[in-house]
Amino acid sequence: MTSLPVLGIDVGGTNTDAALIIDGEVVGIAKVRTDPGSLIHSTAAAFAEALRSAGHVSSPLELHLSTTLSTNAIVEGRGDPTLALAVPGPGMRIEDLGLGFSAWQAGGAIDHRGRETAPLDVESVRDALKSAADSGIVALAVAGKFSHRNPAHELQIEQAALEGYPQFASITLGHRMSGRANFPRRLATAYLNARIQRRQSEFVKMLEQLMLSEHRVAQAFLLKADGGTMRLSESMHRPIESILSGPAASTMGALALAADPGVNAAVIDIGGTTTDISVLVSGDPVFDRHGAVIAGHATLVPALFARSIGLGGDSEVRCDQSGVRIGPCSAGTPAALGGNAVTPTDAAAALGLAQIGSRTRAIRALADFAGPIGLSPMAAAERIVSAFAAQLAAEVEAVYTSLESAPVYTVSEMLTSPNIRPVRLIGLGAPAPVFVPRAAALMGLPFELLPFHAAANAIGAAASRPTTSITLHADTALGILTIPEAGYRAQLPSRPDFGLRQARAEALTWAERAARSLGADADAAHDVSIVEEESFNVVRGFHTVGRIFSIKAQVRPKARRVDEA
Amino acid sequence: MNTATCRVGLVFFPAFDWAISPDHPEREERLLYTRDQIAEEGLLDISGIEEYRPLIAADADIERAHVCVPTVNSVATQSHRIAAGGTMLAADLVLQGRADRTFALLRPPGHHAMRIVHGSRGFCNINNEAIMVEHIRSAYGADKRIAIVDTDAHHADGTQDIFYNDPGVLHISLHQDGRTLYPGTGSIDERGGPAAYGLTVNIPLPPGTGDPGMLYVMEHLVMPILHDWQPHLIVNAAGQDNHYTDPLTNMNFTAQGYARLTEMLAPDIVVLEGGYSIEGALPYVNLGILLALAGLDYSAVREPDWRPDSATQPQAVTDAIARTVTALQGLWATRREADLEAIFGAGQFFQRRRDIYYDTDNIMERQSEQIRLCNTCSGWRSIRSEALHAFSGRAVRIGAVIIPRRACRQCRLDAQGEFEQLSALWRAGRLNLTCLQDIEADS
Repeated sequence: MTSLPVLGIDVGGTNTDAALIIDGEVVGIAKVRTDPGSLIHSTAAAFAEALRSAGHVSSPLELHLSTTLSTNAIVEGRGDPTLALAVPGPGMRIEDLGLGFSAWQAGGAIDHRGRETAPLDVESVRDALKSAADSGIVALAVAGKFSHRNPAHELQIEQAALEGYPQFASITLGHRMSGRANFPRRLATAYLNARIQRRQSEFVKMLEQLMLSEHRVAQAFLLKADGGTMRLSESMHRPIESILSGPAASTMGALALAADPGVNAAVIDIGGTTTDISVLVSGDPVFDRHGAVIAGHATLVPALFARSIGLGGDSEVRCDQSGVRIGPCSAGTPAALGGNAVTPTDAAAALGLAQIGSRTRAIRALADFAGPIGLSPMAAAERIVSAFAAQLAAEVEAVYTSLESAPVYTVSEMLTSPNIRPVRLIGLGAPAPVFVPRAAALMGLPFELLPFHAAANAIGAAASRPTTSITLHADTALGILTIPEAGYRAQLPSRPDFGLRQARAEALTWAERAARSLGADADAAHDVSIVEEESFNVVRGFHTVGRIFSIKAQVRPKARRVDEA
Repeated sequence: MNTATCRVGLVFFPAFDWAISPDHPEREERLLYTRDQIAEEGLLDISGIEEYRPLIAADADIERAHVCVPTVNSVATQSHRIAAGGTMLAADLVLQGRADRTFALLRPPGHHAMRIVHGSRGFCNINNEAIMVEHIRSAYGADKRIAIVDTDAHHADGTQDIFYNDPGVLHISLHQDGRTLYPGTGSIDERGGPAAYGLTVNIPLPPGTGDPGMLYVMEHLVMPILHDWQPHLIVNAAGQDNHYTDPLTNMNFTAQGYARLTEMLAPDIVVLEGGYSIEGALPYVNLGILLALAGLDYSAVREPDWRPDSATQPQAVTDAIARTVTALQGLWATRREADLEAIFGAGQFFQRRRDIYYDTDNIMERQSEQIRLCNTCSGWRSIRSEALHAFSGRAVRIGAVIIPRRACRQCRLDAQGEFEQLSALWRAGRLNLTCLQDIEADS
């Protein structure tokens, strides 16, 4: 466990939050407006403000930064023109994948066991590289179907690019991004990564210049969508992993601050326009089963599960036959703060549940809203608050129903599903104190409101640690062991001896190695666990000819405990 | 992300921890490579294709279609209950409008399981399609007319047995000629019982039949029959062992052929049956079926070892298929003119005796059955069955009386009377078990 003070910074769309933590205590927090033109300046301003609020800090710092840099670049469609080179093999037509970008298709095929069933069309690859290079494209993304089982074709393409076209400054190979199946997602992940790589490198360099020298930052880490961190230098190779780190930081904040973080709980982060619901099972955040989705692109980026719903303090309020409905659109600024439309925030202000802006203005707006439906302003406010709580409780219930109905592939999982039901709700975000207790009452659950809730995301960033996962696939019938994320593929040394025990040990070793290379200290790197495991006999002609093991080992996201100073 | 033109519900359950025995074709590994292919193609990211977790069939669900000897638990494991429950869910999704079409891609299979179940035959214990059909009629209306088109290479003798005398079910089985393959039955003159004569349609195909022959049968026989009969629902029992790489059969279908078949048939519900070329066929056939169901382009789905001549068939096979089709077209067109008295006799009952072998469990069953020839309903049935369990040397004798859906009052009374007689035999120790199956009353 590090003894350095940790500064967590979350650069959000509107505000940039910072929290300085020393020995598990929050000693300084800061909030500045985000300058959309310069994330670097926003970061620097929050940095300085947090240090100022903490008084004098002399020792070197560890910086944990969550930014919207990569998220914004993808959402706004910015980034370098990129050649996406695909080896789709037989199956779905690539034109039908709805990728949202065009891909050059090269002949060649690998099957589900990782066997080459058609050689790579090297000529076609060279044509693609040449025509892209000629038109000034410098970013290259490569992905093949089943390349996670055998990356040979991707490596051949990389080789061709390195040898013939040094102008490709950034090359992303799909198999290195994830060991999971899903060719379209692998292609999209590689494409987006290659596209934003140069931008990320520039950001990292600027950050290093601007801050590391100036502020005695000993180590700097970037937050990832899985609630973990990676070394700043590593982020230049895998910038795509830093997307959607903001919501993950909030979940980690809940873990760091919750009174009893080891239980099943729903984390409810209520903002102005949306509410994010995430899930803890025995204190571990639940992952998205497939990977992050960003701006319509489905990716293989490991991400915490979060359901984002259009329900927040500034949501639109409507009234129809079935009663009061809130969201999913935003109404803009609440009346209490100078806006025109009535919002849940106004209802809370009118009832005296929150001190926000002008209560008089809120009541006046409520009167305009309530008049036509024959209600007093206060009665309308009560209904709005109740409707918000009811909608929130229903959404939380829907999250659990959907997680519980996730497909399983074994009889034993069908018969003994683990209990993931929450025993409490954990609320964060400014409107949480008004709505979370009411939603909890409807669900018959206790609740907890986090201290420092306004900066929980920054605290979450500060409290998180390096994470990683690797996928081991061993096929003893073919005598091949593959760990795509590590770029490792080897003959199995002694085939008859290689069993599940050896496969597990191998997976743990590689995960630990990967964690260290991402900046994990010895404690974190040792904390690897096997999170998925499959083992099959391979039978041909009524004889067992080998076994297939598939193992995912992971350093899970974990939050250091943080207390009120 | 792409959008399917038809909303497809996929109930996928590969039972990765269940096998008949470790080296058996029906083992954990069977759908592993299919899972890999579906996951790698990213099929579940397509908007409109949704994956569902199966249900678990209860005793009552199973006992609508079967008489399990001595109990449901003795013949069906949890894995069988999940496969049956998953198939029921596939029907629910369609009938509740949650999906346009569904695919119950699960194991173990069921189409060799007959009404009386003493154990496992042809890798099947309980009949997924039959349990689903009875579930549909109980939950969504007994008047639902359901067509089952079984495209497994083996004759669907279990499904045929269960619906043999059921006028609400049209059962069409395409299969490799029974003279050359298990279970040996399925000739064109097995045409249904007295109350459903002509609604059992067997289409035996010569070994070596390829895509052209199968599609010829679909176009000239199966589709016209379906058009004629106008079912509310079309179920495809999609065995994949007609594939040219299947180790247990001698047919020449390809993934393209299966996909085209699916496109032509446009089934509401597809249920996996057999198919044991787990690497060379299943990943590609299942992908082809799913894409065809979703209305997506399947033209690039190809087996790695596919060659242009993979699906070819000899001229003699083409000619033989054409003759079979012509014969069956005639039988279908004239089915109502058949002289039922000549076929089933003029008495009160039609009787038949059969020996049924359970290859998987090595059980020899001797069965005698009588069906009441009734003018107002499909007639009550009485079955006496004696099973010799070769492994244990145990012999089990049972008597079952079956009251069909929409039975007339007289048949109900007569069936009760018959059941009392069987019960007397049971009390006298001459039967180990008696059973009264009243399908409509769910008991």
